Amino acid sequence: MKILTGRSASVGAAALIVALSTAGAQQEMPILAIRDVATRNMVMEQLSVAKDHGVPREPLMAKALEGVAKNASSAKIREVMEGLQKRLRKAGDLLAPSPTVDELSAGADALSVGVPEKILKQMRQAAPRRSIAVELGVLTELVARNVPPAKASKLILELMARGATGAQLTAMNSAVQNDVAAGLTPEAALDRHGNGIMSLLPPPPAVSGGNVRPR
Amino acid sequence: MIDEQDELIERVAGALSALPPKNPMATARILAAVRARRAQAPGRFTLMLEWMRQPTFSAASAGLLAAAALVIGFVARPGLVTTVEQLPMAAAAPQTANVPVIAASTDNVVRAVPVPITFDAASAKSVSIVGDFNNWDASAAPLTRFGSTGAWTATVKIMPGRHLYAFMVDGRLVVDPRAPHTKDLDFGGDASVLMVNQP
Repeated sequence: MKILTGRSASVGAAALIVALSTAGAQQEMPILAIRDVATRNMVMEQLSVAKDHGVPREPLMAKALEGVAKNASSAKIREVMEGLQKRLRKAGDLLAPSPTVDELSAGADALSVGVPEKILKQMRQAAPRRSIAVELGVLTELVARNVPPAKASKLILELMARGATGAQLTAMNSAVQNDVAAGLTPEAALDRHGNGIMSLLPPPPAVSGGNVRPR
Repeated sequence: MIDEQDELIERVAGALSALPPKNPMATARILAAVRARRAQAPGRFTLMLEWMRQPTFSAASAGLLAAAALVIGFVARPGLVTTVEQLPMAAAAPQTANVPVIAASTDNVVRAVPVPITFDAASAKSVSIVGDFNNWDASAAPLTRFGSTGAWTATVKIMPGRHLYAFMVDGRLVVDPRAPHTKDLDFGGDASVLMVNQP
């Protein structure tokens, strides 16, 4: 057996030092960015409640730090965090059984702009085994641009059923935004570009089930 | 012979002078995109692993490192567990009774994507991008000035999806003039919107 060489010994020592120095500090670093002690305590309390309810803390932490960056008051940050926590829990139910943190954040954003709850459930059913964070993001963006939620949701679900890629959906979103900026109504812009992408995609696969009987 | 060369040089010079003048902003954007591509190439960590696989790395040293890893795992376990919990797509958090656990599906692998970022601010002293992807931390993703132009560039790894962001310019939050804006429903004002695709 070879004796430990200088190179591998130094690698081992470096790995040991790096691991020990990062393991403890990484968790608490973001909270330390909040200078005001009262706000920091309030945020920690909110994070603790989130943990008790199985809600991921990252989106809440990011929201709190966004409030700090925007010089929001402690009371405002609390109000926003409480609202987000409710939406994250709701999104967790709707995107069950195993949503990722990014999907939950995207779902909470979708709910905040007025996407109907049942749509999140239908989107999860349409893609149970892959992330739908991009699809939720595009839907949120369309609704935030005043496309009626029902119309936008119907189109996104249909595009998902036909296998539209995230790139196609974001390209459609950009095109709709450009048209709206040029003076078209959001609905007309969505019709135009939604139909354009639809024409490039195959029809959704036929559902085989008990209702279909051979003649 | 010399006359032919002169003629050739004149023709080349004529062709080159017909080209449009160089656009520094376009150059900066192209370089940022190239950096983003480069970021997808094997990183330093991968190269270090290759280096460690050299024959001098014996079974004894591997055993020593494994023992060290065990010690680290024992000593620093609480911190490591919370860190893993924080990661997107993390495996299930510890499950307790009556607490719904939000876990990631194992076949649902999504990775952060290198995104080229540019911002024009000729007179700025410092520029960074802040958003929900980096906890609005002004020190997390600083942009670097591109030459003597007013362009600032960076490549930031961001998870696919919709993100709200802004630029921190000399300590002041500024929305991106080249990106779509949306109303910030939480804290008021406007926010820039970034859509990141899954590659």
